[in-house]
Amino acid sequence: MTHKVSSLLILGLLAGALLAPASPARADALDRAGLVQELCGDAGAMGRAGAVLVATAASGSAEDRAFAAPLARAVIDRKLGCDDAGAVLDESGLDAVTRSPRAAAGTPRSPLLSLKNRPVFELADAAFALRGAPDVAKRAAALKTLERRPAQIPEGLLDAAAAVESDAGLKEQIDTLAQTAALNASDPAARIRAIGRVAENPSRRALTRIAALTADPAYAANPEFRAAVDDATRRIERGIALGDTLATLYNGLSFASILFMAAIGLAIIFGLMGVINLAQGELIMIGAYVTWLVQQGLRVVAPSLLDWYLVLAIPVAFFVTAAIGIALEALLLRHLYKRPLMSLLATWAVSLFLVNIVRVVFGTQNMQFETPFYVSGGVPVIGDFIFTWNRMFAIAFAVVTLALTWAVVRKTPLGLNIRAVTQNRDMAACIGIPTRRVDMMAFGLGSGLAGLAGLALSPIYSVNPQMGQNFIIDSFMVVVLGGVGTIAGTVVAALGIGQINVLIEPLWGAVAAKVIVLLMIIAFLQWRPEGLFAVKGRRK
Amino acid sequence: MSRIAPTSPIVLLIGLIVLVALAMAGLAGTEFALSRYLANAIGQLAAFAVLAISLDLIWGYLGILSLGHGLFFALGGYVMAMYLLKHSFVVTGTVPDFLQFMGWKDFPFYWAGFDFFPYALAVAVVVTLLVSGIFGYVSFRSRVGGVYFAIITQALVYVAMLLMFRNDTGFGGNNGMTGFSVLFGWPMGTSGMITALAVASLAVLALVLVLCRWLVGSRFGALMLATRDDETRLRTLGYETLRLKLIVWCLSALIAMVAGMLYVPQVGIINPRVLSPELSLEIAVWVAIGGRGHLVGAVVGALLVNAVKFWLSSAAPDIWPFILSGLIVLVVLVFPNGLMDLAKFKLVRPMGPKRMAEEMGEARP
Repeated sequence: MTHKVSSLLILGLLAGALLAPASPARADALDRAGLVQELCGDAGAMGRAGAVLVATAASGSAEDRAFAAPLARAVIDRKLGCDDAGAVLDESGLDAVTRSPRAAAGTPRSPLLSLKNRPVFELADAAFALRGAPDVAKRAAALKTLERRPAQIPEGLLDAAAAVESDAGLKEQIDTLAQTAALNASDPAARIRAIGRVAENPSRRALTRIAALTADPAYAANPEFRAAVDDATRRIERGIALGDTLATLYNGLSFASILFMAAIGLAIIFGLMGVINLAQGELIMIGAYVTWLVQQGLRVVAPSLLDWYLVLAIPVAFFVTAAIGIALEALLLRHLYKRPLMSLLATWAVSLFLVNIVRVVFGTQNMQFETPFYVSGGVPVIGDFIFTWNRMFAIAFAVVTLALTWAVVRKTPLGLNIRAVTQNRDMAACIGIPTRRVDMMAFGLGSGLAGLAGLALSPIYSVNPQMGQNFIIDSFMVVVLGGVGTIAGTVVAALGIGQINVLIEPLWGAVAAKVIVLLMIIAFLQWRPEGLFAVKGRRK
Repeated sequence: MSRIAPTSPIVLLIGLIVLVALAMAGLAGTEFALSRYLANAIGQLAAFAVLAISLDLIWGYLGILSLGHGLFFALGGYVMAMYLLKHSFVVTGTVPDFLQFMGWKDFPFYWAGFDFFPYALAVAVVVTLLVSGIFGYVSFRSRVGGVYFAIITQALVYVAMLLMFRNDTGFGGNNGMTGFSVLFGWPMGTSGMITALAVASLAVLALVLVLCRWLVGSRFGALMLATRDDETRLRTLGYETLRLKLIVWCLSALIAMVAGMLYVPQVGIINPRVLSPELSLEIAVWVAIGGRGHLVGAVVGALLVNAVKFWLSSAAPDIWPFILSGLIVLVVLVFPNGLMDLAKFKLVRPMGPKRMAEEMGEARP
């Protein structure tokens, strides 16, 4: 849609330029009559005219370009009729200079392009089309023509075209061509300038382009050129290294956010009741499915709000999974508090049930999600590091969840009760805290957080009935490493495991990363058997 | 060693197993022989029962739940598969499919010697002892127990599964190993071979049952129960619980390994799915349903759940998970000690004092 808008805009600008010939022209305005006269002249004159056309396409004013563009086309197509009074554009029947309708006098002569001049006019025509054609396809075709003669492209043309280009893909192609053209320019100073410009945006592609210049004869002959190339290589390599570091940190952070989201509910439940909820992964999965249902519901009820389904699903996902968690606690787990290993099996039965009920209702295929604008695309930062919005969404979501969970646990009466029961259940019961109700509410909170985790990762991972199992073991690791039910422990452990995973993965692969993380956790438990942030006091 | 009453369930069960084994062996080749499918199913069930005993030993009698026993089961299974493939290669001369997929002309060097069964068996034992010994030592030394231990073992088996899913390890990758044609020189897949494997599995099951019954009935078994019930007190009394736990843990791993060695020739394939955390969890479910802390319970649970699974996964594959989860919830809520609760449920209950008084009163002239 944005294409259309900007195309219209360009059309409007062009129309404005055409309709306002009286607007003040630049000082070195095109000698229109002289140009047309030369176009009708001999081969030498036409060559000069072609050069003028090319220069106009590169640096002429908008009016001049709008004036000259039909001329180039007309000469190539032999649709320019030269007569004694000047020339007439055959197709529109307008005078070539004044652009007022007039008929050609006598039998007009169509100038024929020589083999030498033809490429110049084609270049000019493509240059005009690149800067002025309202249609993206036509501009792309013009770019293709220009790409065949990078050495002849006048300086400034591609930059000017890129500046007003609305299509992102085409703009990138123009930029690339601009850099290639400048790197292959005949003027050494322009080449060195171009090298500096390429080095400004370091990426692996830029590095290969600069590296190719070391084979250039100028590299051996011209010490200045050589220094520029070496300097650019160093700068690009630095940029790539920086970008890779940032990308690793960013990916680690986003993975840690997902881990945190998956583990925080588990940690609260485990810390409070010593129950490992094996159905936590399935609650994550249900959170993702609820998000999908909200999206489908909006599609029917309010399509205009469809883009905001991720936001609107937040309360729904939380309360649906919290309700499932509360029901689970009330029906099943409250009978099993003294037997944590049995509750492990019971929650596994629940997870088996949930996976299969979802499989029966929704099927096993991946759910299709709309990608709202705020989680699509990204901003290239440096090197090959792209700051993607979907990962940023997960990180921001985790930060907000962390803040809210912290506030609930630290600032509300429920949180006070949860902390009291976590520290000493019997004593808490003695002073009148309704431990059973606290259990239920805490289980609801923990389950609701799992639902939010499902929501947060639905733009990143595929959503299917098995998805919960991918997270459950990693989130167990987080809880074990972090220690019993502390928010701080969960955060630190999630960050640690997330970063280690992402650091190791590119070196030895995902499997080795998992193996090493597991071994590190086992080794760590030798030193602190109760995790990073164990609650101080007697061992239970 | 405590005396076992001739009417105790364990004796009845062992008797039953031996009886079935003898009947199968005796009827083999006659027209009364079991169908190949049924004989094969009995053999697989027996292997699962051995696996369940191994978990019951550590969970029921030591209170340590392992959710990674599939690791040792798979270890035995993989070594057995390696032996079978190497043996088949010596006899038939064809390289297994998975090596051909990888474009390898010959076995990797670490497969050397696996065509010699005692060597394969020794490797299985040594590797199992190494893995279980090191892992058990570091865990028990730092007193990782309960839920923590369960989670770590689950992660262990998960990691092993990820490793085995890789195709470049030379262990079959995600396709696993299959295409076994000979066992100890006899062709596989014949009725006689199926029956022989089933009988061997039953014999091993009976043997393991007797061995474990002897172990838990001994003084060592009493220490196991004491460790389960109050480890701190036992340590305070001067007992070295670390060594005790380690011994039982390694023994349990060995039994699970044997179960894997029995299982693979009967199903004819091994792939990384035996290392999935789900299978290891299911072992715990068998034991829980049967009743943990009773060897009979583990066997009955494994036989029952797997028999139902054999039947339902062909009759109604969609509802099998629902039935299993319902069964687990029922057992966990209503029969905390599994089916052993049912066994203790007596039709004729001893009279209470009131009833006794009434009966006596009525009986009095």
